[in-house]
Amino acid sequence: MDNIIKNFKGFLIDQGFDAVETDYEQRGYHLEVVLTVTQVREFAKKAYELGFYLVFVAGFQVLADPETPSPHSGLAVVYQYARHDRQYRIKACALVPDSLEIPSISDIYQGADWHERETRDFYGIVFSGHHNLKPLLMADMDVDVHPLLKEEAKLKSLDAVSWPSEAPESTE
Amino acid sequence: MLESEYQEQNRFFLNMGPQHPSTHGVLLIVLEMNGEYVLDPQPVLGFIHRMHEKMGESRPCPGFMPNTGRMDYVCALPYNHGYVSLIERKAGIEVPERAEYIRVITSELNRIASHLLWLGAYLLDLGAFTPILYGFDDREHILDILESVTGSRLTYSYYRFGGVCQDIDEKFVERTRAFIKRLRKRYGIYEKLVTKNIIFIKRTENIGIVSPDMALRYGMTGPNLRGSGISYDIRKNEPYSVYPEFDFEVPVGRQGDCLDRYMVRVREIEQCLRIIEQALDRLPEGPIRSKVPKNIKLSPGDCNFAVEAARGELSYYLIGDGTSTPYRLKVRVPSYSNLSCLPELGRGILLPDLVSILGSFDLVIPEIDR
Amino acid sequence: MGEENKGSSIAPELDAYTEFLKSESCRPLIGDAGEYGEGPLLRIKLTDIILKLCQANSLWPMTFGIACCAIEMMGTGMARFDISRYGSEVFRPSPRQSDLMIVAGTVNKKLAPVLLTLYEQMPSPKWVIAMGNCAISGGPFKVEDNYNVIEGVDKLIPVDVYVPGCPPRPEGLIEGILKVQEKITGTRHPLPQNRHPKSPLRKVKGLRVK
Repeated sequence: MDNIIKNFKGFLIDQGFDAVETDYEQRGYHLEVVLTVTQVREFAKKAYELGFYLVFVAGFQVLADPETPSPHSGLAVVYQYARHDRQYRIKACALVPDSLEIPSISDIYQGADWHERETRDFYGIVFSGHHNLKPLLMADMDVDVHPLLKEEAKLKSLDAVSWPSEAPESTE
Repeated sequence: MLESEYQEQNRFFLNMGPQHPSTHGVLLIVLEMNGEYVLDPQPVLGFIHRMHEKMGESRPCPGFMPNTGRMDYVCALPYNHGYVSLIERKAGIEVPERAEYIRVITSELNRIASHLLWLGAYLLDLGAFTPILYGFDDREHILDILESVTGSRLTYSYYRFGGVCQDIDEKFVERTRAFIKRLRKRYGIYEKLVTKNIIFIKRTENIGIVSPDMALRYGMTGPNLRGSGISYDIRKNEPYSVYPEFDFEVPVGRQGDCLDRYMVRVREIEQCLRIIEQALDRLPEGPIRSKVPKNIKLSPGDCNFAVEAARGELSYYLIGDGTSTPYRLKVRVPSYSNLSCLPELGRGILLPDLVSILGSFDLVIPEIDR
Repeated sequence: MGEENKGSSIAPELDAYTEFLKSESCRPLIGDAGEYGEGPLLRIKLTDIILKLCQANSLWPMTFGIACCAIEMMGTGMARFDISRYGSEVFRPSPRQSDLMIVAGTVNKKLAPVLLTLYEQMPSPKWVIAMGNCAISGGPFKVEDNYNVIEGVDKLIPVDVYVPGCPPRPEGLIEGILKVQEKITGTRHPLPQNRHPKSPLRKVKGLRVK
């Protein structure tokens, strides 16, 4: 397993993931993975088998661009994984499709349960397959209020909030 | 009467909180009970949700500093530390060595204060009143020391981008050394009063066992994870600041029960003292703040910074967009993940054990709800 | 029983007391029963004064720590600041046993109904201290795009004393409690803490105040 971690990028590319190594000093994580919606669960399973723990799940919003080859709703979910035995941090990012649905990983990592509920509270992203997607932080009456959604005028495109040059999400 | 019918008749729901002394804040736990056994504890959060993440992305980055001290107010300086380090990493700001030493000293003092408060509050949950009086007595000494440099007792905003806001003087060093001496003396008192107390051991040993796999699935960190025998401390595993220069150990437990989590924290206090001693010995001279542009621009792209807070891994994740206001600021707080294992851990245990488990997690509710 | 007592030493004091009861200061007043009938129907001044003295000197606060201020509230109860010097160290976990609510922290939309329930469960007469800027006005969370925080607990329940600070020092909370005592009795440091020269008790005949 040590060999896999040593060449984790190569391992992921073999498995069909889009992974890029990043400068830790600059970004604070070692590997960036761009996931499609179908890969989210697959990646979580791999990470669990290899002994990664889930640091957090968070959402963010960018300007929806219907002109790109892969249309998305402007919402994205970030997963961060890390290891106990060595310094290795992975950021995985997936764009949420127009249906606002993304598969839940709360049955693989039970810790993702609350993170996903929180992301639903803040952004209205629906995690399909989640067993209990009720409001967590927000009051019950605010079930349809998603406070972290930005106004149209404040939204920026995905390129404008990504690292320049070889950052893979800017090519999306 | 069939046994299943009898069981069904004895089922009831119990609300623990939001105003309950042993939930350490406004946390509601809806308990499905059978007699005195807990069938399903479900925490309900959000009673102190204070929009920290929204505020983080609606004002220029220095404006978020006071918020960092108000998430985990018991141990606020590591939160300051994580945030200033994040912005420094993002904007490429250098920090003078003396400032990093001061940061480490004050952070570790704050960590001891947090552990002392936890020690008292946990024992209060278990029915002992004396330790909290002792703990607060020692804690007040730390607060006096910290107050002399930071200016506040609890919700610090002491660090600045590129340094700290006020230098420490000879008197600070003197008082800190005197405090270290004092706490080492008091150590024996805690040992006699609590650690070897038979009632305490009975209430904590073999209760709430968190297996390493469970800790991994829930993303537990900090002393709660180390209690399960995994040596994972961001200060060692992902070193930041000047921590690599110090010699300290990471205490770990054996099986992950409440007693192990207690022992890990108590032994951590000693390690904090060691770090502070070494830092005071080697405290370099020099400036305490580097030159920082007045208007810090956060370049496009994301950035992450993790520090070890008193309760575990604290991660700030920021997405910049070229302005001085973060486009997105996510705060990953340790207690959030630590508490999320409660529904699994608390199944089928006695209600008093649930109180023991909750206390051993060292929860700070405003940190969970943010 | 009355006959037996005639010659005893109590008699002169009894007489004085009877005189006193007849006097102006003890004339029964029509009580300010208030709109919701929370006050007494009949009010006797001396009883009133004594009752208020007792209330002021044994405030039973409720353990209701919400956020940062709760730690300072705990600190106030501990050895160094020792709130029991002013008679209010008995922190009660149940609202039904307490008469002082210290709102120590931020109240948000989800907590507001809980706070109201707790307040209503407290028996009358009851007092409220809004501790810290959050409870006073929303404090640091009174921002433009506030979506969750109630800006001041006085929008929900009546507040007697405001203690500013973020968080206030324990001395601040003690001062707040002294203010509540002052509000109850009309005098700062009511008996027995301090024999205040202006205490109205000095004017009450028959009551021995040194």
